[in-house]
Amino acid sequence: MSAGGPSSATSGPATLVAVLALCVVLLTGAACPDAHQVPAEGADDGMSVLRRAAVAGKETAYSAVREVTGAEGEAPSHVHVVHRPGAGLALAPVGEEEAAFVVRASSALESLDERLLHMLEDTYEVTDAGTADLEGREARVVEAGRADGTVAGRFWVDTGTGLLVGSTVYEVSGEPALSVRLTGLAPGEGDWPEGAVGGTPWGDALTGEERDGLREDGWTLPEHLHWNLRLVDARSTEHAGRRVVHAIYSDGLSQVSVFIQRGKLDTKHAASLRDGYAGTDMGGSGVTTQHDTVFGGDVGQYQSMWQAGGFVYTVLADAPAGIASSAVTALPGPESSGFWARVHRGMSRLGFL
Amino acid sequence: MSKDHLGERLSALVDGELGPVEHESALIHLAKCESCRFEADMMRRLKRRLTGLREPEPDLDFMGRLTSLSRDPGPGGRGPSEPPPGGAGFGFRPPLGSSRPLGGFPGGGAAAVETAAETGSARTGPARPERPARPVRRRGGDRFSHLLPDFPGGRYAVAGFAVATALLGTAFVAGGDAQDTPVVEPRLSDYAVEHAVTSRQIPVMDSRPTEVRPVGTETPPGYGSTETTR
Repeated sequence: MSAGGPSSATSGPATLVAVLALCVVLLTGAACPDAHQVPAEGADDGMSVLRRAAVAGKETAYSAVREVTGAEGEAPSHVHVVHRPGAGLALAPVGEEEAAFVVRASSALESLDERLLHMLEDTYEVTDAGTADLEGREARVVEAGRADGTVAGRFWVDTGTGLLVGSTVYEVSGEPALSVRLTGLAPGEGDWPEGAVGGTPWGDALTGEERDGLREDGWTLPEHLHWNLRLVDARSTEHAGRRVVHAIYSDGLSQVSVFIQRGKLDTKHAASLRDGYAGTDMGGSGVTTQHDTVFGGDVGQYQSMWQAGGFVYTVLADAPAGIASSAVTALPGPESSGFWARVHRGMSRLGFL
Repeated sequence: MSKDHLGERLSALVDGELGPVEHESALIHLAKCESCRFEADMMRRLKRRLTGLREPEPDLDFMGRLTSLSRDPGPGGRGPSEPPPGGAGFGFRPPLGSSRPLGGFPGGGAAAVETAAETGSARTGPARPERPARPVRRRGGDRFSHLLPDFPGGRYAVAGFAVATALLGTAFVAGGDAQDTPVVEPRLSDYAVEHAVTSRQIPVMDSRPTEVRPVGTETPPGYGSTETTR
């Protein structure tokens, strides 16, 4: 009895504390979003590796074959790449080198690269995972981890040249969603496609004040499309005297372009509109989103176009299907032309909804 | 007596509840006391007003005469100059507002109805306090009554339906395209190039513009379509 007295006296408060702790855990677990949908904190010791690779990629001349592999079951695409410092990056489908496309070097792209690295650092925990063998070449592996410990992306940096020779983006389930590999890497000046088509980003970069002004004028230009898709750059140009805005969203691993312009689609698009969307479905498989379908183009490339609220939205994404879906669904949805849809729209405009 | 005012006896005097002696003495006091005389006068006026008041009712006679203007001719026919059934048409009746004051006539009600019954349909005088029974009024006056639902609250249902219809119509109009919204044709080719530049990817094949291709190169299949909405 003497032994049971103190024990029972202490078990009561201990049980109460345990129950309270369990309640706190359950309540906080119910209130917080998914564990992987928050920025991951960490030392980010892998960022130095990636920054060195970015510098090497800008200063090193090389040629290689870029192999892009999408989700399981999709055939990879192969693009011949040639990099010339100061000139840019030439890309051409393998076997169609005469149809090369050149991304010309520009300060705007260098600035964008730096922002993408910042975005990666802010969103994920970037760690140096040591070295590994990648197709016969020693490479340093850098992992981008989510807050729940899963791997969102992985980079391979060639230890010999310092170039980024591989990257893979993973779904939340852990399955590879989009992989890029540089094979046949050959340092030095390659065959530069003279006279190839090229381009630089639109010149009119929108400042924060200009973006706020557009929002006040009714433009939907969110700073976030998803918890990890943040606005990293916004540019503008004019088509037929009307402004078109190119907003770039990224998490550091994937990139989504949203083109916005005021107006509505012509009725001739009605035949190709599918549930409000118009898309290219060449060679890709349809991706089911939460509320409609985004049609896939080439591997990892998705396009969609629709009109909503007096604006036309066009989304182009080189991203996994989940990222593309998140971007599309975060924007105003396509307008339906039915009677009740129009009544609903009118009620919203009148302030009843 | 003149020093002592009537007080509560004043109310009894007005109501006629005093005995003969008290009544006589009260009147003598009133002849001498101006204050009590004034108070008694006020009480009499108040009593007359209260007696004359009754539940306010809408002047249905006015509505009945209005609807009789558009009443359809009966099977027997009626010339345009003939007065409407009921003895008198618009203009044959007393001027509007002179028929019955709000609250009815003093001493009206059942007695007035009896008087009207005795006089029959020859009601040409200004005093016509009777009010037709409800079924008679609906048959004679409201030409749209047959459109209303024949159940309690039908008028409210019709009113609600009208409001809902107006609301839907307004929302439908408001939900239409704005007149100043321009029709645009997004240049997917330019978008594809811009996106390819910023993402270091090769543009989507069929969105590459032909106008920027170098001279002498063949146009691959799929090129040249500036709109890729297929």
